[in-house]
Amino acid sequence: MALVDPRAIARFKKNRGAFVGAALVALVMLFSLLAPVLSPHDPNLPYRNETLTTEGVPIGPTARFPLGADPVGRCELSRLLYGGRVSLAVGFAATTIVVLVGTTVGLIAGYFGGWVDTGLMRTVDALMSFPFLLVVMALNRIIHRPGLWLVFVVLGGLSWPSMSRQVRAKVLQLKGLDYVVAARALGASHLRVMTRHLMPNLVSLVVVIATTLVAEMIVAESALSYLGVGVVPPAASWGSMLQESESLTRAAPRLTLIPGLAILVTVVGFNLLGEALRDAFDPRS
Amino acid sequence: MLRYLARRLGWALFVLWFVASVTFVGTLRVGDPATAIAGPHASARDRAFVRRFYHLDDPPRVQYAHYLSHLARGDLGQSFRYHQPVARLIAQRLPRTLLLGVMTLAFEFFVGIAVGTLAALKRGTRFESLILGATFVGISTPTFLSGKLFLIVFAFRLGLFPIGGYGEGFFDHVRHGLLPAMVIGLLGTASQARMVRSEMVEILQTEYVRTARAKGLSEVQVVLGHALRNALLPVITSLGLSFGALFSGAIVTEAIFAWPGMGRLAFESITGLDLPVIMGTVIFASTGILAGTLVSDLTYAVLDPRIRRP
Repeated sequence: MALVDPRAIARFKKNRGAFVGAALVALVMLFSLLAPVLSPHDPNLPYRNETLTTEGVPIGPTARFPLGADPVGRCELSRLLYGGRVSLAVGFAATTIVVLVGTTVGLIAGYFGGWVDTGLMRTVDALMSFPFLLVVMALNRIIHRPGLWLVFVVLGGLSWPSMSRQVRAKVLQLKGLDYVVAARALGASHLRVMTRHLMPNLVSLVVVIATTLVAEMIVAESALSYLGVGVVPPAASWGSMLQESESLTRAAPRLTLIPGLAILVTVVGFNLLGEALRDAFDPRS
Repeated sequence: MLRYLARRLGWALFVLWFVASVTFVGTLRVGDPATAIAGPHASARDRAFVRRFYHLDDPPRVQYAHYLSHLARGDLGQSFRYHQPVARLIAQRLPRTLLLGVMTLAFEFFVGIAVGTLAALKRGTRFESLILGATFVGISTPTFLSGKLFLIVFAFRLGLFPIGGYGEGFFDHVRHGLLPAMVIGLLGTASQARMVRSEMVEILQTEYVRTARAKGLSEVQVVLGHALRNALLPVITSLGLSFGALFSGAIVTEAIFAWPGMGRLAFESITGLDLPVIMGTVIFASTGILAGTLVSDLTYAVLDPRIRRP
């Protein structure tokens, strides 16, 4: 059985937004993967003598520093490329956690129903009442261990509830269908029904949500780093680049625009892709 | 309806207890609060006194009971940093953020509806594509980015708005709040506009709109009186659900524009590890989110009689 409806693929290919979105995402991923090759300098090494004026103001673009220098005198282009790796890594890792936990919880709640469902969904409701950004910030600050894993574990660990809700709703629709009832009647185990009969039909929904979720997680990571409780310096992330240029917002707006544009392009790319996937899988919407 | 309300309120109280307990456990073993309160140069005797004074030596079980019983009376404890009751700090900062919130919601509501309706009326034109494109960028722009961009363009370059701060007197507060409110509201406005557009497109094709037109009503009467009224339902409920997003937006935006409200209080408490204030703001914000959800559900029930029927 084909996992994806060929008609959906055809619809996706005809969508102009899909093309633009995929191109933007591919571009960002390519630049990030090739960061070690493309970067002209070490992203964490300051070149103060060359890049800062006597007043300490970073220089603008030159041949040696194509995007100029950041306030500490590091190469802005190299930091942008390496920052992309951080943003994408956090985005994908956090999304993976959300997909795993969210799908499992939604599947179990929707399939078994009854008190299992009530218990799980009530927990989801309660978790969704937490002020997301505030709790993520507080946890990051309180645990305070340098390293990326903390950022994506916290982000992923707090973002799965809404995914599990949507998966559950879909499972509720599916489990009444004849083929699922038939599978049970033929003696298939719960696990088999869930993995073999329900999961394949959840793929499209999960892929659509996950695509826009990557964008959301990248935004959340940038917000955390911008507020100083995300990625630990001197590592570059687009959010921390914004934060480091804070004092020069007026004197060198370039340092705000460069990482800002990178975030915007990435988010627009993933959102376009997500919307195109939704239209392809569910043409009624 | 009353039973429904009672059940919902009971559930909300339970969630609040859950939030408070999780917050308590989450902050139980963070550093040494005594050092945070008494300062890094305090003597061992001073720290011991502080620990006794704040009951930090009690076993966690006792601290928890103490915390909950005070919480039930609305006492959120003392700020380590300001040496003031957390409740008083929140009460002081809240009106400022509420002002920002009301301005944001007004912006989202009016601009979102106007833009969405116009797009629906101009269906299939280049104008509609333009709006769809602009709102797509709108929902993709994170608040910290739009904040900095608006600051650079509207305050630094064009000088149309103050670059930050809170101002003196009510009208000055409003003047200082315009730019931050637009920044917080940008995301919401764009998504409202998209929602209103798709609702209106659907509604404008229904039979009752055709009937209204056939009766000879003017286009304005048809759009405002018949179509828009029904498109408003999802808008209003989604505004109720946006409390969490508003609060997140306030944390970022108040930091950018130096607006001394709740968001900034929360931000400062986190960077300074002012635990009672962190706990207080988390619990307070959760209350707001729960209240928003409740109001949104009730509005739905009031506006749409079909939901009230059991």
